Amino acid sequence: MTTKTAEAGVETVCRELREKIGAEKVRDDEITLVTYGRIRHGFDIMWPFRKPSMVVFPGTREDVVETLKLANKFKVPVTSVGTAAIMLGTTEGGIVIDQRRRDKVLEINTDSGYAVIEPGVSFDKLTAALRGTGYKCSVGTMPGPGTVLGQALSRGSQSFTTRYLNLVLDLEVVLPSGLVYSTGSSHFEGVGSHLRYGPYPDLAGLYTCAYGAMGVITKAAIRIHPVNEASRVNLAGFDNYADSIDYIKELINHNIPEHTFIWDWHMYLTWPLAPEDMEKVMPGVLESDFTKPPEGIPYNIVSTMLSGYPEQVELYEKICARVAEKYHGRVISDEEAEERFPATLDGFRQQYGDYHYRESVHWSKGRFAGWYVFAEPKDMKEIEKYAAGEFAKFGKAINPVNYYSHPFDYGRSILLRIAGFPDPTDIELRKQIAAKFEEMYDTAMKRYRAVPIRPVGSEKAGTYMQVLASIKKVLDPNNILNRDCGLFDEGEL
Amino acid sequence: MRLAATLADVQPAAARCLRDTRCSYGSWPENRTLCPLYQHDPSFTFSGGGYMFLVLALQDNKIQFDQSTAEFAFSCAGCLACDANCHLIATHPPHAGITDIVRLLRSEAVKRGFIPAGAARKLYEEVRKAGDYGKATPLDLPSKISSVKAGTVIFAECAHAASRKDIAAATVSLLAKIGSPVAQFAEKGCCGAALYDAGFWDELEPLVRANWAAMKPLKGREFVFTSPHCQEFIVRRYPEILPDYTPVKNRHISQLLADAFKNGKLKSKASAQVKVSYHDPCYLGRGLGIYDAPRDILASLKGVKLVEMERNREDSFCCGAGVMGDYIPGLSADTARERIREFEATGADLLITACAYCRDAFRKVMPAADRKRVKDLTELVDERT
Repeated sequence: MTTKTAEAGVETVCRELREKIGAEKVRDDEITLVTYGRIRHGFDIMWPFRKPSMVVFPGTREDVVETLKLANKFKVPVTSVGTAAIMLGTTEGGIVIDQRRRDKVLEINTDSGYAVIEPGVSFDKLTAALRGTGYKCSVGTMPGPGTVLGQALSRGSQSFTTRYLNLVLDLEVVLPSGLVYSTGSSHFEGVGSHLRYGPYPDLAGLYTCAYGAMGVITKAAIRIHPVNEASRVNLAGFDNYADSIDYIKELINHNIPEHTFIWDWHMYLTWPLAPEDMEKVMPGVLESDFTKPPEGIPYNIVSTMLSGYPEQVELYEKICARVAEKYHGRVISDEEAEERFPATLDGFRQQYGDYHYRESVHWSKGRFAGWYVFAEPKDMKEIEKYAAGEFAKFGKAINPVNYYSHPFDYGRSILLRIAGFPDPTDIELRKQIAAKFEEMYDTAMKRYRAVPIRPVGSEKAGTYMQVLASIKKVLDPNNILNRDCGLFDEGEL
Repeated sequence: MRLAATLADVQPAAARCLRDTRCSYGSWPENRTLCPLYQHDPSFTFSGGGYMFLVLALQDNKIQFDQSTAEFAFSCAGCLACDANCHLIATHPPHAGITDIVRLLRSEAVKRGFIPAGAARKLYEEVRKAGDYGKATPLDLPSKISSVKAGTVIFAECAHAASRKDIAAATVSLLAKIGSPVAQFAEKGCCGAALYDAGFWDELEPLVRANWAAMKPLKGREFVFTSPHCQEFIVRRYPEILPDYTPVKNRHISQLLADAFKNGKLKSKASAQVKVSYHDPCYLGRGLGIYDAPRDILASLKGVKLVEMERNREDSFCCGAGVMGDYIPGLSADTARERIREFEATGADLLITACAYCRDAFRKVMPAADRKRVKDLTELVDERT
């Protein structure tokens, strides 16, 4: 909730902001406010309505600085967003900073391998800008209009996590006081963004999964990767998840994949479909028992991005076939994939071959109910069995079609995501699912050493949250930044 | 969209919007902005998604329907770019596109008595007074080609576009040059397209029924349309509105002319060299998928060189004629000016289009001395054959 000071200050902030940055950049008409409000939506019918007091569209970093200084002075909450902010954490009476107009790709550095972008740059824009440069960026399972920074900072699923834990190299941050600083090497005058940290602690980490609560990002450098002379997506099928894990782990240990991804059969059959095909295929898949794929349909397909010189890729393909066999699987040829899962193959080719987005029509199913954790590979095999068993108890009400797994940081940690699409209007079912997930997180953490990838409540994070809250108090003493966006419980410090 | 649809019917589909503004821009990798509202003022509110969230807010009583809501609903240009690029909304019941949901918002505004001043108000008053929008205005077909029994039927009606008369004259002249027998359909006033767009749905249904009753006896023949709006409405919307609708054979005049060049019935005469740029009208292009016929015609004209604007074909940008609300003052003219800037950047001498509304919208914002640089395709062909 806004404080009394904030309520009194909102009009002043709006007026002064218009004077300082331009009236056209500050909107407070009713239609703008409700459309930027946190509203009951297909993504969560239980969300409380929260309406901002104004929406600011900065054109420059200085506009962000002025907005934060004024908001801080009058203690008005601020939520900073890019595009595709489905779960918009708007605070009632607060300011939304929408940085979509700051959408320039400022630099593509092909010597070092990074791109410097403004916060409004989407994956569609960055993938387009990289064409012809000999470099590519990470792509994920989210829609192409999603902002690169939103994805990178929430550590979502995407390619190249096989080799890195995080794709961010450098961030330019504005604090509520108006102070601007960079977390990486560009902090030193005239230096580029090639190094995430130098002689000092790694402060970029403070903004990863912080949901904007520690500062507003106004520029970022992210890793980009060279397009090699030869590259292809190798597919291998396995009848159980544990074999898939052994397969990817062995390949990673031998430096084979550029990126690798384990797809549950529900997911690989439906994710790359065109919307019209989704309507034909999805109903049947949703009616099926996800634990028992039809005859001849592997439980998992592992897509492995191979790249290098042509001879190298040819050799890697042979190695993939050998290792797949070792773990009771088999490589699926393009011809077979073409015949049996053509949309899947098209999707992989588009996303990993052309480096642009296959529109994920999974999202058209509405708000997913998702459960996702990190764990060590051995533990993850057990977790997957456990989670699949728990999902199966819900039956078809939450058939987990959005179901995949992939390694981070050379397979030190594996991410598993299982998500279904329950009826968005069935509030009782959603409550049951939420309670069950809570229980599953507890079990996975205690019994299988899992780490949740999204905040699960301060009490579970113990002293970590105490330290984080202390840092937050220094950076944002009036607690104006993204109060209702999930890092701290309902914004309380 | 069923005319009986309500905001409650479309709420579940609107609730699937991802707020990602995919509806506002065209194909990858160009990613060019196509939504006129978004082009003017990039924000989530001014995108197809903004309308979806307005529906949610209205249904949840978080905002009241008032004149301002109506102005916003009527500020959409109806260019269909959102429908061509959003992969979500139409996949959910009632399987309506974003543009149709905006039209439903307009219809709700009209029911509540919130009608914007200007074109929308004029249209409303005319239809309330006369029971129709426009009058049957037959073409003056020369007797040597006019035949009531001809297999080709020119759909002669159109709304009040100022360009209509010029286009009709050029069309008649071209049909005479081709020389094949032709009948015309000019029994009724408005086919309903203009009323549908403006949300005058209560007034629409009787017009549609009367029009269809007159068309039905001719439905074995091929209708040729000069207005892409009428053609799109009859071909795409009549089936949703009329339970007894059965498909009619149909072509746009540009397709008839392209074929006439191919089979030698129309011949280009030697004329001065001219560079032209072609503006894809939204309803001919995104609405009906007709992109090649106009370009084939331009390629058949001697001395004509086509230079494309940056945004073309599926990724064409609107002329702004469909904007009837005043939520963003001057949006219609600004949209036309934006397109004119793009045309001028090509260095072309003439801006060619194939819709009377587009021609009017462009001419309105051009300096008087330049207005003749905007022509309908039929006019250009008539001059050069």
